[in-house]
Amino acid sequence: MARSPLRFLVLILAISICHAAGIFHPISDSHRSAALDLFKPVDGSFASLEEAYEALRTFEVLGIEKTAELSKAICKSVLGTLESSSSTPKDLFHALGVNGILKCSSKEETFEGIISSLQAVVRDANSLLDFYYSIGSLRLIKDQTSKTDLHLSDAEGTFRSIKALSQSDGRWRYSSNNPESSTFAAGIALEALSGVVSLASSEIDQFMIGAVKNDIVKLFDSIEKYDDGTFYFDEKLVNMREQQGPLATTSSVVRGLTAFSSVITESLNLPGDKILGIAKFFLGIGIPGDTKNFFDQVDLLACLENNRVSIPLILSLPSTVISLTKKDSLKVKVNTVLGSHAPPLTVTLVRAFSSSARDNSIIENQELKFDPQDAVYFLDDLPASFDVGEYIFVFKMLVQDSEQQTVYATGTLTQVPIYVTGLIKIENAKIAVLDSDLGSVETQKKLDLAGESTVSVSANHLQKLRLSFQMSTPLGNAFKPHQAFLRLRHETKVEHTFVVGSSGKKFEITLDFLGLVEKFFYLSGRYDIQLTVGDAVMENSLLREIGYVELDLPEPPENASRPPPQPVDPYTRYGPKAEITHIFRAPEKRPPEELSLAFLVLTILPLFGFIIGLLRLGVNLKNFPTSAVPATFAVIFHLGIAAVLLLYVLFWLKLDLFTTLKTLCFLGVFLMVVGHRTLSHLASASAKLKSA
Amino acid sequence: MAKLLLYLTLATSLIPLFSVAFSPENPTDRRVLVLVDDFAIKSSHSLYFGSLTSRGFQLEFKLADDPNIGLQRYGQYLYDALVLFCPSVERFGGSIDVASIVDFVDSGHDLIVAADSNASDLIREVATECGVDFDEDPAAMVIDHINYAVSNFDGDHTLIASDDFIKADVILGSKKIEAPVLFQGIGHSLNPANSLVLKVLSASSSAYSANPKSKLSNPPSLTGSAISLVSVVQARNNARILITGSLSMFSNRFFRSGVQKAGSSIKHEKSGNEQFLTEISKWVFHERGHLKAVNVRHHKVGESDEPAIYRINDDLEYSVEIYEWSGTSWEPYVSDDVQVQFYMMSPYVLKTLSTDQKGHYSAEFKVPDVYGVFQFKVEYQRLGYTSLSLSKQIPVRPYRHNEYERFLPAAYPYYGSAFSMMAGFFIFTIVHLYSK
Repeated sequence: MARSPLRFLVLILAISICHAAGIFHPISDSHRSAALDLFKPVDGSFASLEEAYEALRTFEVLGIEKTAELSKAICKSVLGTLESSSSTPKDLFHALGVNGILKCSSKEETFEGIISSLQAVVRDANSLLDFYYSIGSLRLIKDQTSKTDLHLSDAEGTFRSIKALSQSDGRWRYSSNNPESSTFAAGIALEALSGVVSLASSEIDQFMIGAVKNDIVKLFDSIEKYDDGTFYFDEKLVNMREQQGPLATTSSVVRGLTAFSSVITESLNLPGDKILGIAKFFLGIGIPGDTKNFFDQVDLLACLENNRVSIPLILSLPSTVISLTKKDSLKVKVNTVLGSHAPPLTVTLVRAFSSSARDNSIIENQELKFDPQDAVYFLDDLPASFDVGEYIFVFKMLVQDSEQQTVYATGTLTQVPIYVTGLIKIENAKIAVLDSDLGSVETQKKLDLAGESTVSVSANHLQKLRLSFQMSTPLGNAFKPHQAFLRLRHETKVEHTFVVGSSGKKFEITLDFLGLVEKFFYLSGRYDIQLTVGDAVMENSLLREIGYVELDLPEPPENASRPPPQPVDPYTRYGPKAEITHIFRAPEKRPPEELSLAFLVLTILPLFGFIIGLLRLGVNLKNFPTSAVPATFAVIFHLGIAAVLLLYVLFWLKLDLFTTLKTLCFLGVFLMVVGHRTLSHLASASAKLKSA
Repeated sequence: MAKLLLYLTLATSLIPLFSVAFSPENPTDRRVLVLVDDFAIKSSHSLYFGSLTSRGFQLEFKLADDPNIGLQRYGQYLYDALVLFCPSVERFGGSIDVASIVDFVDSGHDLIVAADSNASDLIREVATECGVDFDEDPAAMVIDHINYAVSNFDGDHTLIASDDFIKADVILGSKKIEAPVLFQGIGHSLNPANSLVLKVLSASSSAYSANPKSKLSNPPSLTGSAISLVSVVQARNNARILITGSLSMFSNRFFRSGVQKAGSSIKHEKSGNEQFLTEISKWVFHERGHLKAVNVRHHKVGESDEPAIYRINDDLEYSVEIYEWSGTSWEPYVSDDVQVQFYMMSPYVLKTLSTDQKGHYSAEFKVPDVYGVFQFKVEYQRLGYTSLSLSKQIPVRPYRHNEYERFLPAAYPYYGSAFSMMAGFFIFTIVHLYSK
């Protein structure tokens, strides 16, 4: 059980976190545009008559015009449902609900058949939903036609059988054989009971009505509450809660409650603050994004807008931020939940006190004036002693007409946090470098915090840097902003933030570099100085680059801590890499072709010299064998030598080593044989010559 | 028989359900589990959820402490993505815990985490696993006295209008976000050593993270633009994560609310939240920035067949086709910074591929005069895109003995001397033998 409120509180916080506790705003135009977005007909109509009813009812309450085509399309299905004999009471109920808004048909004969069948359902019904839909339908028919003879035959009996489903704690069961009781069902039952009363031909027993009133009071005992004064109903059983959330449950109860209170003669004595709390709960959820919840919200607020129990009035402020420089005045609006005007009221500012000093009231019991043109209550002028800061204003409203005081629920006191903002004076800003041991000022420079100019100072680790300035509120009081930071940023993006302390109006910070060397990771160099002063009530919050200090720090010892890694810029991390081309091995240097050719000629020249020399010597071939056989052998021998030489040329040109050697083998053997014959012939010829 | 028929119809009706799920060929998520603290979030944040359902996502809403929730059944993941809109949950119900969420992401699924000023330790732990540290002070909120959103009801300057977006069209869409984004919640910092996490929306340099209700005596742990408001992570397996310290920035109220930044005279009718968060959800759910590479080819210039080996100094052509998933189909990816490396221990050649604007990328280069086993490598990592990592091994051989150059002019004198010697020898043999 404890889980659910907590969970819902999260939602409330999430949605209304902007709305300071205690401020709720009535329905406004944003609801209307959201409704148009939300209830969008698909193909010109809605999926079911229930959805159509929810949409049309929402539009009706919010005062949104619906298009004629849409009405026509929906009316067609309404008439279809009403004329069909197989329609269930639930279908009829929704169809009649739509008919009540669109006025599709008011022909009495349309309803004749339905009435009798519905009355039969009422007679035989034993579950709560049967009662609810059939009685609800009958009641809608009664409202839509001029029939006066539409009565329940046994109103008293029906009332009793519905009442028989009620439980001792004010909740209802859905049927007699279902032991689980539900708060949602209580709302349905109340609505059904109110239908019975209005359809009854004679007065219902006052004792019975008194019993139901008792049930309502008991039901209100089980209401749940939040700290900010909002109330709501929720199902006690977890599995039921999943079907009906707090919005649907509360909406059902309130619908039943207002319906019931409108048919009984005496008033229901319910505490007005709970009704107001329920209204605040529904205003606090903002704009639901779900059609069902939206309808629940709008329908509930419409029920509360005009009910006989008590009409909640909502006090809201157009702005909770008041600027002293713009001379804003304090304005308060009081509306009903749907945003229409409230009756004449007396709105009093009971107390106003600073949120830090709660006991010191600044304003007490001041009545606000009414401006009929804008329908706002305003405070003439704030007292002169009113300075910037965060305040809490406590309002009280009272309906002027004392007879109507019971009709409206105004709540007791409304607490509203107010921010009063103004321009803060910053003066005497100075930056100085001090010598550490003597404390004497080495350099001092004035700062112009409003301007653009920057200063530069330099210091070493034996010196101190002092920054001082004064701040005061428009009234000359001391002012301590929430944010007063001095930030030093090194070239390597390492940052150090210091809080500037204050005594009275004077703000001063002294950085003793000797003590900070370790913290600065021994990083010498240029540090940019940035001063940030800001507060929620300060209109001239500033972020200024004052200048820079050139720091000369000692070399880091070996075990000094390294500066933390700085985040890598994502843009550079992912950029394309530099292209790489392979450097090829350079080809060896070669002489120019002409030179090679010249040397080629030079290498061939000795051959010519040799030939010329031979010719000069007078060589002859007289020794050549004259006889046929040796001459043939000699020719073949020389041809063989020429073939070997040719083989070498071929080897150079194209042959590989193996072919060459093979061929050379044959040629060699051949040469040996032929050479032997030739040479032996020559030898024998020369021997013959010698012997001769 | 009737039973069998029932099973058959069940099976056939389930097939389309599975076929639309996440797959490498169809990388957009389909089934999304949304864990909430309260079902009311469903209605108060309906515009955001509506934008997801209208893009075809099947959202399943569950309470975070529902005892029946689980991410997988029979070893199969039931969802493609997880949305944690439950900042205050102390313990998840069912089988979900931090380890199972980490496993979920490790298996390539996506995650959206929204915290709030009352974020529980559990949600902080999930964020820490993703490389993001929320401010440890539970009461701290991001405050900015200079770049706050002007509002009649928010006097404490915790409603921040930020427009310091990451400059990446792939994450935030090509349409510029004109209006500032409203943020109210807690800030976080990124681990500088973590290169996978990116700051998408960062606070201005005047922001700080502190409790607005108490006076400051020590400097706050998070200040300035080091504060990240919204961060994304793209894991090595291309799983994507969105982390923010504000649940309310997803709410209908912030989506619809107008925004005026303090000190600026421009009042925007509508905050940038809807555009910003819708665009970023497209990125997180892989409707954008998901690349695939197909048809990786290489061959010698002038040929078309892929050789088994290259010779040094060959001219070759490398080509690849890259496509980007648009949410419904694969579109050609156009960029001018895709690079190929010819790699052996270190890149020998690194060349930017030229593109024909239709997804086809190619480059020509000469094989280096070093032989060994090389790789064609494409390591494409760009901000916001899934990383492409292609590698293909290819050996490179030196010249064969008969492939060297012959008949060099520089050697002509040697040839000439040899041949003139041979001619001289031939003449000498004749003269020597037969001259008298």
